[in-house]
Parts: sequence; C-alpha cells; structure tokens
Amino acid sequence: MERRQFIKILGMSSLFLHGWLRNLFAAQGPMVAVAQGTDHAGITRKALAALGGMQQFVKPGQTVVVKPNIGWDRTPEYAATTNPTVVKTVVEECLKAGAKRVKVFDRTCNDPRRCYASSGIESALRGMKGVEVKHLEEERFKKVALNGKVLKEWELYGEALSADVYINVPVAKHHGLSRLTLGMKNVMGIMGGSRGAIHKNIDQALADVNASFRPHLTLIDATRILTAHGPQGGNLADVKVLNRVIASTDIVAADAYATTLFGLKPADIAVTRTAYQRGLGEMNLDKMRIVRV
Amino acid sequence: MKKVTSARISQLLFLALFLVLFLMTEYRGSDRIVAAVNGFFRANPLTAASTMLAAREYQPLLLPGLLVLVAAVFLGRFFCGWICPLGTILDLVTGRIRKVGAIRALTGRAKYWLLLPLLIASLLGVNLAGLLDPIALLLRALTFFFHPLFGDTVRGGWRSLYGLIGERRDLFDPGYRLLRDYLLPFRETLYPLAFLSALLFVLILFLERYERRAWCRRLCPLGTLLGLVSRLGPLRRIPAKLCADCQACREHCPTSFDRDLLQMEECILCLECSLRCPSQRVRFRFAGPRPQVGTVMERRVFLGGLVGGVVLARGLRFREPAAEAKLLRPPGVRDEDEFLKKCVRCGECMKVCLRSALYPAFFQAGAQGLYTPLLVPRLGYCEYNCTLCGQVCPTGAIPDLGKEEKQRQVIGKAVFDKNHCLPFAKRIDCIVCEEHCPIPGKAIRSERVELTGFDGVKRVVQQPYVVDELCNGCGICENVCPLEGKAAIEVFRVKDRTPLKASSGGASSSGAPPVSDPYVDPYAGGGS
Repeated sequence: MERRQFIKILGMSSLFLHGWLRNLFAAQGPMVAVAQGTDHAGITRKALAALGGMQQFVKPGQTVVVKPNIGWDRTPEYAATTNPTVVKTVVEECLKAGAKRVKVFDRTCNDPRRCYASSGIESALRGMKGVEVKHLEEERFKKVALNGKVLKEWELYGEALSADVYINVPVAKHHGLSRLTLGMKNVMGIMGGSRGAIHKNIDQALADVNASFRPHLTLIDATRILTAHGPQGGNLADVKVLNRVIASTDIVAADAYATTLFGLKPADIAVTRTAYQRGLGEMNLDKMRIVRV
Repeated sequence: MKKVTSARISQLLFLALFLVLFLMTEYRGSDRIVAAVNGFFRANPLTAASTMLAAREYQPLLLPGLLVLVAAVFLGRFFCGWICPLGTILDLVTGRIRKVGAIRALTGRAKYWLLLPLLIASLLGVNLAGLLDPIALLLRALTFFFHPLFGDTVRGGWRSLYGLIGERRDLFDPGYRLLRDYLLPFRETLYPLAFLSALLFVLILFLERYERRAWCRRLCPLGTLLGLVSRLGPLRRIPAKLCADCQACREHCPTSFDRDLLQMEECILCLECSLRCPSQRVRFRFAGPRPQVGTVMERRVFLGGLVGGVVLARGLRFREPAAEAKLLRPPGVRDEDEFLKKCVRCGECMKVCLRSALYPAFFQAGAQGLYTPLLVPRLGYCEYNCTLCGQVCPTGAIPDLGKEEKQRQVIGKAVFDKNHCLPFAKRIDCIVCEEHCPIPGKAIRSERVELTGFDGVKRVVQQPYVVDELCNGCGICENVCPLEGKAAIEVFRVKDRTPLKASSGGASSSGAPPVSDPYVDPYAGGGS
C-alpha cells in the first residue's frame, strides 16, 4: 500500500468511524453519582466520594457558598426544602476539605425567619465554626450582564458571585409551571428583583441565568421528593421517601437523572430540554456515567 | 428627677419594661410569643372598662385591668405616678420645658367631656377609648413612627457603609447582627397614620409647655377614670390644704396643687409633697371622710357626655362601599361589629405582623374604624403558619387560635381579573399565584389550555382559577402577582367567614383531594 493510499483510506474511514469516536467520548460524559440509603449523611458522603471527594472542589482557605432550597415555611418532612442533614453533611465536607468560610443562604418566598427556622437548616448548622447562615441583604445584589435570549441582565447575589466555590443543593420536587424544581431552578435563589416576572418564559430565562452562573457542584436531595402540589406542598400524602442523593458537576445531567425519579423523561422538562439544546450540559441518560453507590 | 424616690425607680423600671416588651413584640424564631408583651394593655383599666362595656360581658383576659381599677379605689392614681410609661416620659422631659401657665379651656371639666362620651359610645357598641388611651398613644407612636424611623436610619447607614467599603463591611457584621436581632424592626415598613401618631405624641409633649403633666391631669381618659374611682376610696392626704406658713407643696407637686386644696382626682401619688415637706407634716392616710371637693360633674357635663357618646357611636358609622370591599380583617375575625367592640386600637397586631400585612385603617372602615387593623395584601400577606397577631391581641378581638385552626380562618376570597391576568389577557404562562398558594391542596389551580397566542403561534397555556372552598384569603397571591400596581388576583371581603373544613387545612390528614377535584395530578403513580 502506498503511503498516499493509506492516508486516503484513513481519512475516508474517519467519516464512518465518526459516530464511534463520538460515542467513545460520550462514554466519558458527565458523571452522575447516585447514592441510596437511609443514612442521609452517609449517602451524601458516598455521592461526594464517588465524584472524587470534596477536595476536588474545595481547596484550603476558600470561601464556599452552599445554596440549599429554603424557599418555603415548611418542615423537612414535607420535602419542600432541602433535607437539613444533607446540607449539614455538605457543609461538614467543605470544612473538612479546608474551606475557610461556608455561607449558607437562600432568597425565600415566605418570611425568611420562618423559612430558616422551619427548614431545620438554621438549627442544624448552629454553632459550627466558620459557617454562616445568612439572611440576604438587598444591597449585595449586583447587576450582571447575562446577554441571554430573554434576560439581557439581572441582579444576582454578590456573595454567590464572589464565592470561590458554589455548591447547589436543591431538593427534587414538583412545580406547577416547570413541572419539576431541580438544580437549575434552585439557582433562582440568588436572583434578585421580581422573579415572578420570568415565569412567562421560564425555561429560556433559567437557561440564560444558568449559562452565565455555573455551580461547581450540584447535589440533589431526593431523600424525600414532593410529587404534587409543589413547590410548597404541605401534605404528607404528596411526599415520597426515596432515600437518594444525586451529585454531579453537570447540572443538566443531575436534573435529567432526578427527573426519572418522578417517572418522567428528561425531555419532558422544558427547563432541562432548553438547557441541553443550549449546550449547558448532558440530558441523555445513556451518555452519562451513572455511578450507583 | 433629681431625687431618687421609690416612685421614680418604679417609673423607670416600668418604662424599661414597656420598651423591652415592645421590642419583644416580634417574631424571634418561635411560634409562640411571650404572653407578657401585651401586659400593659391587659392591666389597663380603661381598656378593661371600655371593652367590657362594649362587649357587655366579662373578659377574663382583662382581669388585671379590673384589678388595677379596684386598686385605684384605695390608692388613687398610683398608676399615673408609678407605672404609666407615657407619664414617665413626660416627667423626664418636662424639666427642660419652660412653663407659661395652664390653658384655661382645659382646666375645667374638659377631661370628663372626653371620658364620658368614650364610655357611653362603648356602651353603645363602639369602643373608641383606645384612640386616646395613653398606652395605646405611646405604642402607636413607637410602632408606626419612631421605631421604623430608627430602623430606617440604622439600616440606611449599614447599607451606605456597604457602598463605601464593600465586602470589608463584614468585619462589623457581628455587631450589626446584635443590633438587627434585638433592636431594629425586622422589616422596613411605612405605615399610614405614622404622621398622625407621631403628631399626637408630640402634642402631648408640647402641652408640657403650659404646666407639668398637662396631658395627665387635663385630658388623659385613663387618668380621669382612675381619679373618678379614687373619689370613692378612703385615701386622704393630711393636711388636705396648703399650710398657711409654708405652701412649699405648690412648688413640689406636679399635678394637683394649683388651688389651695389638693385635687385628689389629679394627685398621682408621687409623694413628692410628703418627702419634701420641710416640717414633715404631710402624710397619706386611709382615713375618714374627705373634705368637700365639689361634685364630680355638673348635669350639663353628664348630659353632654351622653349626647357625645351617641354621636360617636351612631354618627361615625358611614362606610364607603368601595373601601369596604377590601376591608380585610386579621385572621379569626368573623364579625365586623363584634370586632369593633373589642378592638382597642393598640397597634400590637400591626407591630407583630411578620409580613407587614396589617396596617391601621384611616377611613376604610368608616370614621369609627380609625386605627383598627386592616390586611393590605398588596403590601404584605398573612403568613400561613403564623399565629402571632391573635397571641398579642390584649382583648381577644383577634382570637388566639392554634396553627391549624388559624389556617382555616377565612379573611376573604381571592378573585381573578381576567382582563389583567397574563395567561388570559396576554396568553402567556405565569401562575406565580398558584406556586405561592400555601393551602396544601392548592386553592389556586390551573388548567392547561391550548390557545393561539397573539403572535399566531399555538401553545399550551396554564390558566389559573380559584377553588373557593379552599381559599382562606391569606393574600399571598395578590402580594406576589408579578403585575405592576394592581394585581390580577385580589382578595375581597366576604360576609360569610365560616372557617374552611378541617380536611383541607390539616397538613397531616390523609390529604386526598376532594372527590369533585378537577385537578389531575400529572405525577400520580409516578416515581421510581
């Protein structure tokens, strides 16, 4: 075989091999760790360990923001807010990895004092050194140019923007409009202004925000999920105990996997679909590395 | 205030207690609030008298007030000289104000002209005493004006500090947190009538220009009531008159020695005359008949008071129907007349309302409803799990209900305005109201409707509707409606405020939706 011919064949064959090559990389696609068990602190640690441990994300001396969902005045069993044990474990792991300060906050819908108290998160973190459970302060919101499809700019919370590491810890639950509230919707907690105004185009708006602001790690609390009457719930009959925690650096992949827990396909959720189409992450389950621990 | 006397110490302690209780009238992480926060009102004889007269029944909550009234029979106006925080404030400032002599119009029977109509109006079912009650006047001035002003100033400073030094402000955060958690109002609220509340308070201070404790002796209906009662008692000052050789009492006495004879109805029992008497002659004794001090009031005053009461009770009833449509009362108030009989307009509920949903009425509830609490959903909403207003109400005008019971109380009903509501008027998605509706079964639901948008594109839009049987009128939907100005969903007053059925509010109930539930749960049967 002549050298020229060899190169030709090689070049031609790459056309046919194209799909195979892509699949080879896809197999390397985003890792989603799914841990299951009734020890919620334990499964949180396992999920983190599967991603290489918190030290992959948090370096000594850094400031970390852990953003749970504290949006509603409900106690943890109603699955409207993030499980305080999961939040506490994430915070502990941050400290163990050497974080100098861990800030925990959310922009709540009900009275913030009541939400912080009822969620159990405030009391779970009380007295921990280097940990601040903070109420938002209006003056810390900063206008950020998003240059998105529907949101050109929006006010985002300064302490989230300035953190070295941002860890997103939503709870998986039903939502009347977006069908589910997961990782990408949880980022709304750092949005200022009138958040209700983005509902008319919520999937595009959330994609805009998530395209500009990317959590380093998303850890979805599915220890209990709210299956109806979300995002507030209030009825234990709507709550399902799944004892699962999902962790990924790919927020879209984490959301996509969590969707299956509700018996839905990732593409059923417009927020996930839009984010995937805009290249913010992977939503095809067969293109993720799902690691069960 | 130079000499330390028992009365002075008592006054300062009670003033401190009043301020501490005022600051404690705030949500601090617990669903229950210390019962003592409304102590000054429950121990207030005027509140007790006017409320019981109006409701025509014994109110156990107000027993302390009755006890103080009984004590006044024996001890006269000790409340004014030893307890009343407004009196203490007057004593604290009066030394710095030069006196020009009493206003003649006030020296006569003016105070009876005030007290009598108030009591008669109460008897006719309109409890207006709180308008001029000194404790209420002080609390309202603090709640509506001085405390928000203080909060505004400190918070504004804290904010501009952020503008100046940015994140470095965090160094001072621990100090600010202490201030914020214990002294500042949590929420920055502007109140209607803040100006009037402050003005009345300042006017009372201004009266000190004429004579010491001018308000207390010439106008205060609470003091007048106590003075009236003390006439019956055996407490006497000896000697009753100024001694010919000394007359120092005239200098020392803050209230009742502008004439030669001690005016027992005005004596606030500060004991200055006794403590400072150069020859230690003055004594206060429980003794026999007192010297003749004249009749309480002439027939003219009595009849005038009667007419005044009728005018107050019957003449101020007009209500504007449009304003009445939005006349939303705090949760648990079911009957407007019943409420007006018991509400003493103390402002406690508005102080404690953690979402700043309650505001003092100006003329929405008619002139007779001045300062009574109104829920204004566009400004704040009734927090689903909060029961604080009922807990602090000193007269039970807002009943103190358990959480589940309160959640079922109907404040009003929400109604959509489809000309405004986005999914109807603009054919785009929204349903922020449904999202926020706190009722576990959702009193606001939505149906998916296929529509052609005004851009010609077919789409599925979720159009909301209200389930009346579940709506308690908390107002969060109106509060969060993203439309500017007027909301597309509004809570309106309803006459029938029968509480919702227990099954819909009970969080721990089986929670199955009603049989006729048109809402189909898209995730029923879902899960892993």
